[in-house]
Amino acid sequence: MKLQKFLTVQILLAPELKMIAARSVSLLLAILVSAAGLFAQQAGNPTNAEKQTIQMLMERIDRLEARVAQLEGAKRPTASEAPAQASSPPESMPSTVEPERMDLSKTLLHIRGFGDVTYHGDTRKGDTTSFSLGQLNLFVTSDVSEKFKFLSEIVFEAGTDNAVGVDVERLLLQYAPNDYFNLSAGRYHTAIGYYNTAYHHSTWLQTATGRPFLFEFEDKGGILPIHNVGVSASGLIPSGSLGLHYVAEAGNGRASSSSRAEAVQNLVDENNLKAFNLALFARPEKIRGLQVGFSGYRDVLTPLNQARIGETIFDAYGVIVRPNFEWLNEALVIRHAPQGASRIFHTPGFYSQISKRFGSYRPYFRYQYVNAPDNDPIFGPVYNTPIGLRHGPSAGLRYDASESVAVKLQYDYTLVRHQQAINGLALQLGFTF
Amino acid sequence: MQRAPRVLSLLALAVLTFLTLPSLAQGQTASEESLAITVNQSNPVENLSSAELRKIFLGEKSHWTNGRRITLVMMDPGPERKTVLRDIYRMNENDLNNHFIHGLFTGEVFVSPKTLATPVEVRKFIFNVPGAIGYVRAGDVDASVKVVRIDGRLPDDKEYKLRVQRSGK
Repeated sequence: MKLQKFLTVQILLAPELKMIAARSVSLLLAILVSAAGLFAQQAGNPTNAEKQTIQMLMERIDRLEARVAQLEGAKRPTASEAPAQASSPPESMPSTVEPERMDLSKTLLHIRGFGDVTYHGDTRKGDTTSFSLGQLNLFVTSDVSEKFKFLSEIVFEAGTDNAVGVDVERLLLQYAPNDYFNLSAGRYHTAIGYYNTAYHHSTWLQTATGRPFLFEFEDKGGILPIHNVGVSASGLIPSGSLGLHYVAEAGNGRASSSSRAEAVQNLVDENNLKAFNLALFARPEKIRGLQVGFSGYRDVLTPLNQARIGETIFDAYGVIVRPNFEWLNEALVIRHAPQGASRIFHTPGFYSQISKRFGSYRPYFRYQYVNAPDNDPIFGPVYNTPIGLRHGPSAGLRYDASESVAVKLQYDYTLVRHQQAINGLALQLGFTF
Repeated sequence: MQRAPRVLSLLALAVLTFLTLPSLAQGQTASEESLAITVNQSNPVENLSSAELRKIFLGEKSHWTNGRRITLVMMDPGPERKTVLRDIYRMNENDLNNHFIHGLFTGEVFVSPKTLATPVEVRKFIFNVPGAIGYVRAGDVDASVKVVRIDGRLPDDKEYKLRVQRSGK
């Protein structure tokens, strides 16, 4: 009965399936004929061995039946499947496209990791040479739907007390209906100039071992509102080959009520005043890798027991970034204007960085400068980072040991107002995984 | 009588040469064939400039004019991908990886390209994804996908720029 059923199934098969099944059946018949011979010799008195043989054969038929059913199922085209052969085009295209649905059977997350380990030392009084864990960065994205995307950077990082903490450095839900208007909400890197939007929490992506001190993170003594919580709109401005883009942001701004306050106002804004930032930049098609732009940032800071202070940051830059060559030039000025006071405090700063790749090696040079007034009402008293005058060159060599691992050696010479010049040396291993 | 086969051979060679000449004259050498840029049949785009094509492949342009998100499909390393890297990206494989890692990291690139192994898979993907764009050899094109003009030229045109080394099929 089983054999008959098997042969019936056989007839219904596609040609190639028939071939597979035909071979199996031939083999089976041969086995059955041999078995039948054995039966004839020992008719009427089946032994245990014979019973086992029959059982084995029946099981084999079952397996073959299951396999045939599986192959038939795989052979049957599904509604959404395109023709497999070039010679058989689809009879009709779908007239309407079905709305996108979330596939609950698979994860939507994409995770990429970045990390670094550095050995460094400098001549600053009290500093020791140390091996340092850099930021372990889990960069998580998810294509939520055709127009929505999620992006986040979760960073594990040790503080000066050697304790490791976790920070959500970026968390954004992006809505992108077209190239001209993208809306993001969450925590982002403020689009002040170039460096802060081009480089985030990964040393591997950067040429040098660290960020220019103008763009240092808030918890590392940085003076800019690097992070912000709010909304950001960006997109193309129709401009042909000029490639104009805009970014407009509104957020909580940087905390200023106390030196102990967390710099990024993740949950509660200390006042009702919002920080605004507008950036414009161009990427002309004619010069590959060129980007020029400027930005203006405005916030009102409210330090305790002080008058409100208007903070304005203007930034302008011109960069050329190509795979083999990089030249970054960026200048900014931070303006602090206490209300009711006649004095306005200006902090100018700039950096210039150039590098060229020779095979796996990329030598680079950076010069940076920042000059904050000693009596600035924000940097010293509120941010606890009396930055003063600080400038000097850095020179280094980056060696890409593989497409995911970079080794960098960097020397820094930094002149600081009222202090001795600092010589520093760092060897860094940066990687992505 | 013995001369007849030789004459026939020469004749055949002459015919073959005659048939081959037009394609050589069109700027396509015998060892090359065109690489067709293909999109979904429902996509209204007919023509792309080289600059637009580069922006699309770099992820700098992320939406079609009909609002659909662009999904780029690349092929595994091989002659076709080599042509795309050389003539569209103008960068090597490592630089391409870095470009997409960096672009995704800054949020400027919405999605990274999907990579498939065969022309059949590429055609299937483009057939099923309305915003998809990819590339296959001109000989692998069928009615399931739509070929886009590049700078106004189709793969059969003599000035068409995307050429791939002919495979040894």
